[in-house]
Formats: sequence, structure tokens, C-alpha cells
Amino acid sequence: MIDLQGIEKFYLNKGGKNYVLRHVSASINAGEFVSIMGPSGAGKSTLLSIMGMLEEPTYGSYEFMGQDMFSLSERKRIEVYRNYIGFVFQAYHLIDEMTVKENIEASLIYKKVPSAERKSRVEDLLERFHIGAKRDFFPSQLSGGEQQLVGIARALAVRPSIILADEPTGNLQSAQSLQIMDLFKKLNEEEGITIIQVTHSGVNAAYGNRTLHLLDGVVDKEQFKKGC
Amino acid sequence: MFKLNLKIALRNLWRYKTSSIINVIGLAIGLASFLLLMLYVSYEWSFDKQFKGSEHVYAVMTNFKDSNGNIQGTSDQTSNIISRVIKQEIPNIEAISLICNVGEALISNEENSFKKEAIFADPDMLKIYNYEFIEGNANTALNTPKSVVLTQSMAKLLFKDGDALNRSVLFNNKVDLKVTGIIKDLSDNSSNTFDFLMPWTLYEELFSWVKKPQWGNYNWKTLIRLDEKADVNLINSKLKDVIKRNDKGSENEVFIFKLSDRQLYGKFVNGKSVGGNIDRIYLFVGLAFGILLIACINFMNMATAKSERRAKEVGIKKTIGASRSSLISQFLIESLLLTFISVLFAVVLVEILLPTFNQLLNIKLSINYYNSSYWFGILGVILMTGLLSGSYPASYLSSFEPIQTLKRKVIRTNRIPVSLRQVLVICQFSFAIILIIGTLVIYRQIQFIKDRPVGYDINLLVEMQQEGELSRKFDVFKTELLKTGAVTAICQSSGTLSNVSSNFWGFIWPGMSEMDKDISFNQIATTYDFLETNGIELIAGRDFSKSFASDTAGLLLSTAAVKVMGLKDPVGTRVKYHGNDFTVVGVFKDFILGSPYFAEGPLVVAFNPDWRGNITMRLNPNNSLTKNIELITKITKEINPAYPVELNFVNDLYVKKLQRERVLGILSNLFGGLAIFISCLGLFGLTAYSADQRVKEFGVRRVLGASVVHIMKLLSVSFMKMILVAVIIGVPVAYYLMNIWLTNFEFRTDISLSVIVLAIVGTFLIALLTVSIQAYKAAKANPIDALKYE
Repeated sequence: MIDLQGIEKFYLNKGGKNYVLRHVSASINAGEFVSIMGPSGAGKSTLLSIMGMLEEPTYGSYEFMGQDMFSLSERKRIEVYRNYIGFVFQAYHLIDEMTVKENIEASLIYKKVPSAERKSRVEDLLERFHIGAKRDFFPSQLSGGEQQLVGIARALAVRPSIILADEPTGNLQSAQSLQIMDLFKKLNEEEGITIIQVTHSGVNAAYGNRTLHLLDGVVDKEQFKKGC
Repeated sequence: MFKLNLKIALRNLWRYKTSSIINVIGLAIGLASFLLLMLYVSYEWSFDKQFKGSEHVYAVMTNFKDSNGNIQGTSDQTSNIISRVIKQEIPNIEAISLICNVGEALISNEENSFKKEAIFADPDMLKIYNYEFIEGNANTALNTPKSVVLTQSMAKLLFKDGDALNRSVLFNNKVDLKVTGIIKDLSDNSSNTFDFLMPWTLYEELFSWVKKPQWGNYNWKTLIRLDEKADVNLINSKLKDVIKRNDKGSENEVFIFKLSDRQLYGKFVNGKSVGGNIDRIYLFVGLAFGILLIACINFMNMATAKSERRAKEVGIKKTIGASRSSLISQFLIESLLLTFISVLFAVVLVEILLPTFNQLLNIKLSINYYNSSYWFGILGVILMTGLLSGSYPASYLSSFEPIQTLKRKVIRTNRIPVSLRQVLVICQFSFAIILIIGTLVIYRQIQFIKDRPVGYDINLLVEMQQEGELSRKFDVFKTELLKTGAVTAICQSSGTLSNVSSNFWGFIWPGMSEMDKDISFNQIATTYDFLETNGIELIAGRDFSKSFASDTAGLLLSTAAVKVMGLKDPVGTRVKYHGNDFTVVGVFKDFILGSPYFAEGPLVVAFNPDWRGNITMRLNPNNSLTKNIELITKITKEINPAYPVELNFVNDLYVKKLQRERVLGILSNLFGGLAIFISCLGLFGLTAYSADQRVKEFGVRRVLGASVVHIMKLLSVSFMKMILVAVIIGVPVAYYLMNIWLTNFEFRTDISLSVIVLAIVGTFLIALLTVSIQAYKAAKANPIDALKYE
């Protein structure tokens, strides 16, 4: 599904190059649950952003579902976001001016999903994540865990084939973290959604079936969970 | 989508209350100013365009030439015979009418009597202006001499029971007229307005000399309506020598000029139209758009200053699949919504301010709420303002890359928006400073003209028209009035000092050259006590006196007249005035006759008891004003019971001459002030955001020991630099523009350094005050609050 070849990313800094990523190659298949681990500044988030096309590498090629992504126009790229990718962020990044319901619905509006269909999908998600009672709340009125649930619900609303999560539990307490990770695992196993998460925590990484360790911009080692 | 965007826009307005309030206040004031100015512009613009077919109506104009063929002046005054000649010689004339503007005249019936505006005109007048008849027949209303057409409000005044048609009214207390028509009230912005209209044939009956052709008497106006095939240039070429052919010795030329253009393009130099009020229209349109632009700039600046807060929203929306165009439309909806709210306030504001505005400008503007074009205009203004103020923030905010905004990286990598914001602030303040200097210069110029020595004592001086019995019984009136002690002096005269009413040429004096025949002199005819009553300073000789019987053939000269005539020892000089022998008995000091804007022309004051029309009285300063007025009114009523008593104070009349510049002064004061206020609102908002962004930096600095003053300086300096640039741009532009304006005046002040310094210091002070309020708040904040927050 995702095929990264020789990705390099650096910033020019006073004559020198500040490398963030060096020669990163990775390939991720549909249905995998991959964790990207590494210390601060290792380039984990940058790698995820590149996968999500929020950022472009300095060199390298990226194929998403067999298509070269870096040659796409912005319009096409937006098409990909809308149809295949769901983002989940550490800081939730819900839109403060929208209610829970509207936040979930927003991406569907941009995807031009008809109103009736939108309503039913939103209702589904609200019910599934047990946040129906808070549908008219604004993000600031929710706890961190609840906000992240809304964030995931929003990502799921467009029925993506892949979810990119940047430290989804970074701001959460451990109980809430576990809940979110269980949810990811369920989504991965029951609905076959590919999940790529960046995480600090070994516990979280263990939910996935494969872990990429990054150190100073290089893939240090790759671990496969036994039995996969 | 639209609904959601609207909902979010409302929530955003609510959330950022400070900036919303600043924006709404700024835009509402800007829009209200815009609407008021545009109302005024449309009032001037639609002058004489209100009636049907106004585009085919022309005024007959005359170029007055001296014997060398130089055009000395152009006006719409014509002889009475020109209409007959035009009717015979020029094709394509649908209607033609002579007009005599009587001014205020007495109209009465058994119950009421009023002094109202009157006009004599031919029956064709009704076809020229296409008056809307409520009652009566437009085709026959003026066909018989003893008829009169009333405006609706005139009819209501005279006949309280409402039925006016075919009733009779009395004109000037002697002529019985039948009401043959009632027309809708005339709009204020039209020429030749009246309260009652009488046929020309009646005018000829009352003044039989008018029946005769008077080629040399330019006392009337002539209007024509052309048909659609008429060629104006052809007509003008045919008219050019009409006077020359008929009036031997006169070089004057006749031409026709579109009536509706007279208001805006009515200034003639060398017989050519060189503009007129249109300059003011341009000025006001510029002012209107300028103020609106300032308000829009506020919006843009506030919106882009908020960008750091909005950036996250843009980033998220982009990652969940929003396209740029959908984001742009969202931001535009926000700006349109804000504009819409502001327009609501603005309309209310206009409605509240309109009466005051009308009073200040002495005009009657009104909003016709049933007129769809008003609402289309409002809609247009909303769209224009919303798009103008929203387009830049929309394109700027929607251009953010999601990753930058989500990672909270510095958004200001792109340097242009910041400097553009600065450019906009500089624009605002340049405009403001131009307005401040303009206001100060206009104010000084008005003051300068006002302070010109009038040359006679305008205080406690009243004028009254000499009508009815006051003409015949003037001497009785004079004696009676002096006996009461209400006045200390009184005189009759042909014209008043506040209005030049007559001039002549062909004055003959010893030692003159042939060319001097063409010199035009102002003239006033009077009897005794003219100088004393008006308080004019005598320089040589004496005033007319009853002790000298020969004074009935005497005249007085102004110093300007003496100078023009080149007389060394004027008193006792024998001259020929209108062909008769007169002797100069005195010389008086020049005074402002008519307009205070121009130098005094030569004036001849001649003794002539038969040419009168005005009574001037000097009130007794020892009595109270009310007592004086009471006594005058009582005596006048006794002698002239048919006419209402109307006294005009000369100093009021004098102030009215400054009306045009007063209007300009008021408008520039008002809108200049508003422009500065709006600009400061914007500056206030910008400083608030700037302080907000740097709150952490300030916290750290405070902890490290920076003083409050130091931090205030940090925040203020960058803003004050912008003001400095605005001053550098604004001052020369203002200087240039105001110099051009001042060249309009024969007597003018200069743009002194003090005006410019005052404007600069004022702008800096206001701006500094605005910025300091925020800066002080930011500097005084407890640093721990800022640092803990992170």
C-alpha cells in the first residue's frame, strides 16, 4: 500500500545540512498495524507527515496504492486525503468552533457526501464511540480522551483505508490510552484498516504487528511481532 | 455547507468579541459615512434630472462681451424677446418658456396670507418640467392671465378644507387669480422652484413695459425643450449671432446649455464650461470611498493579525480534505456576514444622523425606503465591502500549509503579509493626515474670509423688502419708526449691501478714455442716510443731505471707483450717469458688496427716490432686540397691513455667504474625525494582537528585569515608525492638494508651518495614546501568568 524509497529530508542551516531523515525506505502493506518508535528528534513525525503528504521530502519517491504521490497536483492530493487517509493527532486538532457532531461531519461535507448519508454515518460513529450524549458539545467542553475519540471518529467518517496517527495517546492518561489503543486494534483486526502510528511508548507499540525504530533519521531496526 | 459556514462564522464573531466589535464599529461608521456622502452626491447628481424628459431641456445662456469681443461673463439671463426669435428661427423646439423669478411674493385668500416663492412663465413651462398635476389640466392651466398653479403644500396652506381648484386667491393684495391647477410638490434639487406659478400674460398685464421687446435688458430666463431629433451644435451655430443681428452695438452671444448640466458644470470661463460642482462631487465620492476603504483595511488587518489563531483551523480542514476554494468561500462568508451586521447598524445610524446632517448642510436629504434602487445600492455596498475586506484575508489565510500550522511552526516565513499589513496601516494614516491638514486649511480659510473687514457694520442691521404701501409711504414710515426709538437710522435703496443686484457701464466722467466706457460699475440707488444707516466710512465730502437741494442729482463713489476712474479730487466732479448730469458729493471707503470672496468692484451710489425695493434699518443698541423688533413690526403692520413682516438680519445673511465653504468645513471636520477614529480603532486592535502574541516574550523580559517603559517602547516603536512613514507620505500630498484648492480663492490664507506641525503632532499623539493603552496593559501584566501558561 505504501512504498517509500530512499526518503531524505534535510533543512539547510548556515551552510550545513540538518538531516531529519536519511535514506529511509519502507513498505507497508494493506491491513498492517505499524508503530514508528524512536527518541525525540528522530524524525518519526516527519516520516508520518511525509506518508500523509503533509510534507514533502527533499529526495526520494513515494508510492501510495501504486501511484507516485509527489507528482500529484494539490487537487489530486486532496482527493487522496478525502478518500483514503484519516489523520489522528496528538493534540486532537478538533476545530474549536464546531460541535462534536459538526467536527465529525466536516470531512464528509468536503467529500460532498449527501446529507442523509452524512447524518447516518455521524449517528453511527457517535453511537459506536458512546459520545452521542455530547454531540452538541464544543471540544473545549470535553476531556482529552473524549476529544481524541472525536478525532478518531472524524478520521473514520470518510471510511479511510489507512489511519495515520501521530502520538494519538501522547496527551492522555494511561487508562484512556489503553482504550484508544484497543480501539485501533479492533479497527485493524475487524475492519482491516491499515494503521500507522508514531509513539514513544513500548506498550502502545506492542499493539501493532510491526515496529520501525528510527534513530537520528535512519531506520535503526525493524521488529515483527511473532506470529505475523 | 453554506449553513454550517454561516453558523461557524457567527460563532467566530462571538468568540473573538473584541475584534468583532472593533470591526463592526469601524465598518458601521465607515458605511454610515459612505451612505451619507453618497446620499449627498446623488442629491447633487440628480439635480434637475427628476422630471420626465429632463435630458431634452436646455437653458438659453448668454455670453456677455465687451466692445473688444472679450467674454466677460456667462449666465442664464436672457432678454424677453429671445424666446420669440428662437421660436421663429430654430426648428425642433417642442416647448419654450420665458421665466421671471419673482422671489417671495404675497399670496392670500380670505383666511390666510403668506409670502411664498412665485414665478411667471409661459404655458409651455408646464411641458418643459412635466409637472405632475394632481388637479387641473396641464394643457390649459396657464392659458388665461388671471390663473395660478399651486403646489400641493401651498394649496393645503391656503385652503385648509382641502378643496383648492377653481377657488380664488389674491396676488400681492391686488390681483384676483383663479386656481387652475395643483401640482405635486417640486423636489428640492431642481431649479426654478416655486410655490405658485402664474402666467406670463399676467406679468405683461401688470408691467406693460415687459410687452415690448427689450434686447438690452437681461432680466429673465428662457428654457426650451427640444425634440429628439434636435442637433444642439447646429442650433448653437444658428443662435450665435442672433443678438448681433437684432441689437445694434451688442456683441453678446446666445447659446443653449443642458439644464441638468448647469448644477454640476455651471462654471464658465471664456464662454466654455469648465466644471463647477462636479469637483465637489468628485471630492465627496473620493472621501466616501476613502473612509470605506479605511474601515475595510481595519477588517483586513484584524483578520490577518488573527491568522495565528485561525491557522490551526485551516490546517485541520485541509487535512480532512477541504479544498482552498471552500476555505476561501468560508472566509468570504465571514466577512460578508460582518459587513451585513455593520450595514444594519449603519442604516440605523444614517437614519438617526440624517436630520442633523441636513441641518448642518442646510439641505433636505431623505431616504426613500420604498425605492428598490436604495436597497440594491445597499446590497451592492454589502457585496463590495464584504468582498473588498474579505478577499485578502481569505486568500492569505487559505494559503497556509497544514503541516506548518499544525506543528505550530512560524507562519510568518512569508514576509509579504506582514509588510502588507504595515502598508495598509500607512495608507490609513496617510489618508487621515491628509484629512486633518485639509480640515485645518479649510478652517483657516473660512476664518480668513470671515475676518476680512466687511467695511460696514453688519451687527444690529436689519433688512426688509419695500413692498406694498411701504414704497409710497416710506417717509411716513421713516418718521414714525424714528419716533419710536427702535431704530437710530433708516434708509431705502435699490439693492442691499449683502447682494449685488445691479451694474452698468457707459459711465462718463471728465478725463476718461474711450476704452473706459466698457468698465462695469456696481450701482445702488438710494435717498438719505445711506452711509449712516449702514455704518460705511466716509473718506471725503459728505452723505446726501436735505440741506443741499442739489443733492437730488448727487452721487457717492467708492474708493475703488475713484481709483478706476483716475480722479485726483473726486468731490465736486461732474459726471454723466445714465445720460443725466450728476455731481460727486462724497467718497466712501470700500466695503464688501455681495461676496466676501472677491475684491470689491467700483460702486456708484446715486440719489434716486424712484428706484427702491429695500429698507435697511440700524437698530437702537439701547433697546432690547425683541423690543426693537416688536416696534418695527407694529409700525410696519400699521402702514402696510396686507403683507407679513419679514426682517432679515444682515449678519445672518453675511454668514450664509460662507455656506459653501462652511459645508466643506463641516464635512471635512466630520469625516476627517471619523476617518481618524476608525484608523485608531484598527491600530488599537493591531496593538492588542501584537501584545497578545508577544505575551511570553514580555513575560521573560520582565522576569529578566525589563521596566514597564522599556516594554511599552518595544511594542510602540514599530507602530510609531509606520505613523512616521504615513506622515512623510501624507504631508506633501495634503500640501499639494490644499494649495490647488486655495487657488480657487482671490483672498486666501497660506498653508503655514503651524498647520502642518499641528497635524503631525496631533496624529502622533492620538496614535501614541491608542498604542500606549494596549502597551501599558501588556507591560503591567504579571509575567508569571504568561509563563505559567506554557
